[in-house]
Amino acid sequence: MSLLSMKNVSYRYPINNWKSLKQVTLNIEAGVFYAVIGAGGAGKTTLCSVFRGFIPHFYHGELEGEVQLFGKNLLQYELADIAARIGYLFQNPFTQISGAKETVFEEIAYGLENLGVEPAEIRKKVEDVIALLKLEKIAESNPTELSGGQKQRVAFASVIVMDPEVIIIDEPTSQLDPQGTEEIFRIIDLMKQRGKTIILVEHKMEWIAEFADRIIVMEDGQVVMQGDTQSILSNPKVMEHGGTLPQYAEVGLKLLGEEGIHQVPITRKQGELVFSKLQKGGAE
Amino acid sequence: MKKSILDLYPTTKLLGVLFVFISILIVPGYAYQYAILPICMVIALLAGVLQSFCSLFFKGVTLIVLFIFIIQGFFYPGETVLWSGWIFSLKLEGLNYSLLLTSKIVAITASIILFFQITKTKDLIIALEKMGTPKKVTYVIMSTLQIIPQMRKQLNVIMDAQRSRGVETEGSLMIRAKAIVPVLGTLIISSFENTQERVITLESRAFTTQRKKTNVTVLPKGPLDTIVRIVLLLLLVLIIWKGVIG
Repeated sequence: MSLLSMKNVSYRYPINNWKSLKQVTLNIEAGVFYAVIGAGGAGKTTLCSVFRGFIPHFYHGELEGEVQLFGKNLLQYELADIAARIGYLFQNPFTQISGAKETVFEEIAYGLENLGVEPAEIRKKVEDVIALLKLEKIAESNPTELSGGQKQRVAFASVIVMDPEVIIIDEPTSQLDPQGTEEIFRIIDLMKQRGKTIILVEHKMEWIAEFADRIIVMEDGQVVMQGDTQSILSNPKVMEHGGTLPQYAEVGLKLLGEEGIHQVPITRKQGELVFSKLQKGGAE
Repeated sequence: MKKSILDLYPTTKLLGVLFVFISILIVPGYAYQYAILPICMVIALLAGVLQSFCSLFFKGVTLIVLFIFIIQGFFYPGETVLWSGWIFSLKLEGLNYSLLLTSKIVAITASIILFFQITKTKDLIIALEKMGTPKKVTYVIMSTLQIIPQMRKQLNVIMDAQRSRGVETEGSLMIRAKAIVPVLGTLIISSFENTQERVITLESRAFTTQRKKTNVTVLPKGPLDTIVRIVLLLLLVLIIWKGVIG
């Protein structure tokens, strides 16, 4: 049974006269890592907002079709009740700090406080998450004074500590440097290993190829392709829909059929294997 | 001693401020009211915050007190002229009225500044929440205090960007005003933009849930709190009693 699902969902923002989602039907299975890709304006963020309930609870507008969260209609939920089950992170690290707390420790604890968890339990959970995400050095710092990458990690910790079943992450690395990006993907991988269902909107295809289980390609408010990572990221049609492929896949597509290369490499490891095959072929 | 003062429960300290507010209205004259300042300075010294207390107090209050003295001293109606020159005359009645007025201002501001110097904002917020203040109200207080340095930082970034484009931002008052007015618009608009995302952040942390909320920080009330509260109450009773009798 799907954890989250959309059936013929269309949505129009109140200020727009066009639909940002058009007849989207999608099932999200438990424990699977989904990457949502597509050009800007394809509807990726809107899709995330619907699954998190910000649409229609916060953004209003016109929502058609049926959205189910954990077997219950989205409209039957209060927005705050979804917070404990679906974590949400977005791209701007600077606005993901609540502004209500003076230390990173308290910031991470904030969600649990709002959920009414007992202080002793909060302390234990926060300490665990701080150790997991290696935030010990900044635990007593003021979260508003951190760098973008540190803020993003604190935001992650604040979501993870609430132990949601699903984590929706909308372009978390778009404002981060390579080191910050690597840190974020390390955390995402940790969450994947813990069996969380992840929906990630991201443009850094090399990272997606490395970690995602399934890919959803969006264009003009529609889901135009979906499938397992290998089959989607080795398909040149992705580029026709405004998406991009990992560099290894782009090169691999050109080499397909040569020197016994029968599968397009999408990850670094696969790419290195292909190149070593080519090198051997050349040497012989 | 420093720790004892700093560790007092925020509402105990707040009661101290309230005591000052009430007592300065009951006790006649201005000597007691002015005496609040040195008392506050002694407490600030013991708490290790004398320097910041004095800096804030004198920067904030000196001009106001001086202004009141000049206005009231010269323009308050009276007949006992102490000094006169051109169309101005300093009168004893005006001076007395100035002393009465400024003594209260000094006492109130000294006690408030001291309160904020020896009380962490987060402790005050926790105490307020324990008293039943809604989290939405305490969030507004806390986030406002947090947002001021953030906006200052943002302002500096925008000013740097202006400078790098050759806009004059330093010099006379007029030049600085010309530079800062257009920047304020950008600053306010970017703050509005951030508000929407901040709301989403809060929603992601279950801010609007109807459940009973808790707080990870536990603020204990010590025996010193009880002693201070009793002493304040006894002093207030004594002041009221003396006020009624005498």
